[in-house]
Amino acid sequence: MKDKKKITLFERILTREIGIEFKACLYFFTQLFFYSVFRLCTGRTDAEILHMAEMIFACYIICYIQVYLLWDFDEADNLGLKEIAGMLICTAIYTGLSFVCKWFEGNFWVYAGFAAYVIFTYICAFLVYKVKRKIDDKKLNEDLKMFQSGRR
Amino acid sequence: MRIDIQHISSGEDEVIVRYREKTPKIKRILDAIGADDVKICGKAGDETVCLVLDDILYIETVDDKTFAYTMNDVVRLDGSLARLEEELEDDRVFRCSKSMMINIDKVERLKALSSNRIDATMINGEHIIISRTYASEFRRILKGGRREG
Repeated sequence: MKDKKKITLFERILTREIGIEFKACLYFFTQLFFYSVFRLCTGRTDAEILHMAEMIFACYIICYIQVYLLWDFDEADNLGLKEIAGMLICTAIYTGLSFVCKWFEGNFWVYAGFAAYVIFTYICAFLVYKVKRKIDDKKLNEDLKMFQSGRR
Repeated sequence: MRIDIQHISSGEDEVIVRYREKTPKIKRILDAIGADDVKICGKAGDETVCLVLDDILYIETVDDKTFAYTMNDVVRLDGSLARLEEELEDDRVFRCSKSMMINIDKVERLKALSSNRIDATMINGEHIIISRTYASEFRRILKGGRREG
């Protein structure tokens, strides 16, 4: 009985991996958006496939770091000091990579703008996860009341 | 199932349940009237106390000792958590972590936490965390899913 209702280690790892895949895609698309806007602003309507490959690879690696080493800060219950530190570390890695890989070929302000944009996306993701949990709270409490009133 | 309800003007209230087989429906009726409540006994200090599920908020194992927590008492029970879980055999009893079982009827509210954990606030204000290992099963039971096994 116990074994059936418990989530196995494999299921737990799989859930976490799916979470990382989802995050990597989410952050890749936000960065691609910034990259596309930058290209359009500089008069180009094409995108370097190498840059996109670097971006998605960077997103995967950084999402692994985020989940396994940096307290999965965008899904945290509250935004404390360590979560902010995690956000800043990941932002610094993204910005550093964008500079090394020459994603924007721009001046300092473009990279500063990119860093600010990454922080903004992290804050948005944190708020989205928080709102999602709030909605989940409502559903959970409705189910609890139903269970208690009638044990369906 | 035939249902016979009679209003009486005098005498003691009486409920008679006649069944050939204890189906889930019959079990729920017995649960509702408390006829099928298992009593578990333990020690509160020097005193022996017998509890029914309705008295218990949660049961916890600490250092291989099992305790049942009620609104006012902590009762030391004999046996492991797994054995008690089998003994009580009730949908209201939910194993929420390796060392703890809660009585769902005594949960006041729930809060979803990160990493798919759930914070259950009991009616006495205590917070109990339902670990992510058990959270999915908890959600399933609340939605009306019967216990497997």
